[in-house]
Amino acid sequence: MKEFIRKCIKQRYLFLMILPGFLVILIFNYLPIYGILIAFKDYNVAKGVWGSDWVGLKYFKMFLTNPMAGRLFKNTFLLGLYSLLWGFPAPIILALLLNEIKNDAFKRTVQTISYIPHFISVVVIVGMLAEFCAVDGVFNKIRVLLGLEALPLLAYPQYFRTLYIASNIWQGVGWGTIIYLAAITKVDPTLYDVAAIDGANRWQKVVNITWPTIKPTTTILLIFNISGILGTNYQKILLMYNTRTKSVADVIGTYVYELGIQGAQFEYTTAIGLFMSVISFILLFIANFISRKVSETSLW
Amino acid sequence: MAAYKESLSSRIFDVFNTLFMIFIIVIMLYPFLHVIALSLSETSEIMKGNVNIIPRGFNVEGYKLILTSPQLWIAYKNTIIYAVLGTFITLLFTSLMAYPLAINDFVAKKFITVYLTITMFFSGGLIPTFLLIRNLGLINTIWVMVLPGCVSAYNVVVFRTFFQGISPELRESAYLDGANDFIILFAIILPLSKALLATFGLFSMVGHWNSWFDALIYLNEEKKYPIQMILRKILFVSNASAANDAAQVMIESRLVHPKNIQMAVIVVTIAPIMCVYPFLQKYFVQGVMIGSIKG
Repeated sequence: MKEFIRKCIKQRYLFLMILPGFLVILIFNYLPIYGILIAFKDYNVAKGVWGSDWVGLKYFKMFLTNPMAGRLFKNTFLLGLYSLLWGFPAPIILALLLNEIKNDAFKRTVQTISYIPHFISVVVIVGMLAEFCAVDGVFNKIRVLLGLEALPLLAYPQYFRTLYIASNIWQGVGWGTIIYLAAITKVDPTLYDVAAIDGANRWQKVVNITWPTIKPTTTILLIFNISGILGTNYQKILLMYNTRTKSVADVIGTYVYELGIQGAQFEYTTAIGLFMSVISFILLFIANFISRKVSETSLW
Repeated sequence: MAAYKESLSSRIFDVFNTLFMIFIIVIMLYPFLHVIALSLSETSEIMKGNVNIIPRGFNVEGYKLILTSPQLWIAYKNTIIYAVLGTFITLLFTSLMAYPLAINDFVAKKFITVYLTITMFFSGGLIPTFLLIRNLGLINTIWVMVLPGCVSAYNVVVFRTFFQGISPELRESAYLDGANDFIILFAIILPLSKALLATFGLFSMVGHWNSWFDALIYLNEEKKYPIQMILRKILFVSNASAANDAAQVMIESRLVHPKNIQMAVIVVTIAPIMCVYPFLQKYFVQGVMIGSIKG
């Protein structure tokens, strides 16, 4: 014990160094976790989080019996599911195709250009999208060429998901290839030569050499993506949606923003947030469990 | 490889693959070129729908309106302050926290590691965080734009891993020469970590440059808004006429099209990033690599 205290005193500078980061995390990460308690309370600012009266599961019941809840779940889940189905394979395919480009300068050019949209803000992305979807915008010029009617596309619910997901892919696909291309560089090049001698064609090399190399990376990212399926980018939706597309664009995140920040229903929206976190956590466990059974890759 | 003759199907694939990559380049660049072309085109050409990727006519009225609006310059200044201060705090606090964790016999190493890891899996969520910041009285202050999230577990772990790669003998010999840990960190470790600092500094800068949601919920005075909030206002909230009073008059007299103004703001907002991107691209990619090796 004495030894320990002496060591602590000797390392006092190290403790001093930890302090600012420790406090920032305590305040901005841990205190909000403690603040989740208001989901079970009738929150009163004067009484504070702990002093407010308990109300049990009132707000959870309120949410689950809310007729809106079904639509919110459906919209959140479908948007997440379609994003996963289209958005997850896109960078893998692009990375595998880039890997087949033999001219290094051309390959680098494509990569450099495809990263650009990643650095653009959501506001700009949605601004461009709105311009492209306008009646006199580029998408409608294409529609007219195809013999379709020019429509303000952002005002039609049936196009909302496609536009949301396609613009996400446009922004993220190039950047998403980096991690896969890094994994691909770990392939021992002699494997390809050996396979060539054995008469393997390019497709067979991809299936039998490249793909097995990036599979663990893919699995880990897939697990994270599945657990994040309900974590829609509601900030983007806030910029994109309008009263006409709300029937499909309304997700848990936007609902919490509208009722919580704008409507000041803090306890209710905190309860919704907690409920969704629990579901995401369960999804993470399930995805990890399945992955461990099927591919022996897991997070823990 | 020389003995291996390419089959016809393989060459056909190469042709299509190259075409596909050219298609990717076009898709990635077209929106930017279109926005620039629109921002510079004559009102009449925009109304006729003639603008594609090359400006039709030459009209800089949109830019003039934007660049003479004090609102834009205030927002630019605010953004730079938030970005520079926020990045400085992030790098400083992250380095300070990562250094002790890179030392094996630091007594609190295990505790701090667990303390950090928990934040990777649990968070309070939007509303509890909002309430906390409101209760702390940080609403409408500069601190709300730079402090929350300035230290992230992920960044600390990456920094720690990087510091561990620096020879521990350097530290030990400095120790024997009487240097304390602060001197070692600032005079020895950080100068050896320039690539790391550059990379994460850039990520932080871009993050601040592009952030708007925190400003939306935590700031309530326009004179404190960062650039993205002004962009949001001109694009979505009040139409292009919000740029300033002169804009309204000019739109009505058809000297300038609302699209001239809207697209000009987009260009002005992304220009700084686009200007530095080609030179700093390798640092960004490096950042992903440093992170992914650990993960």
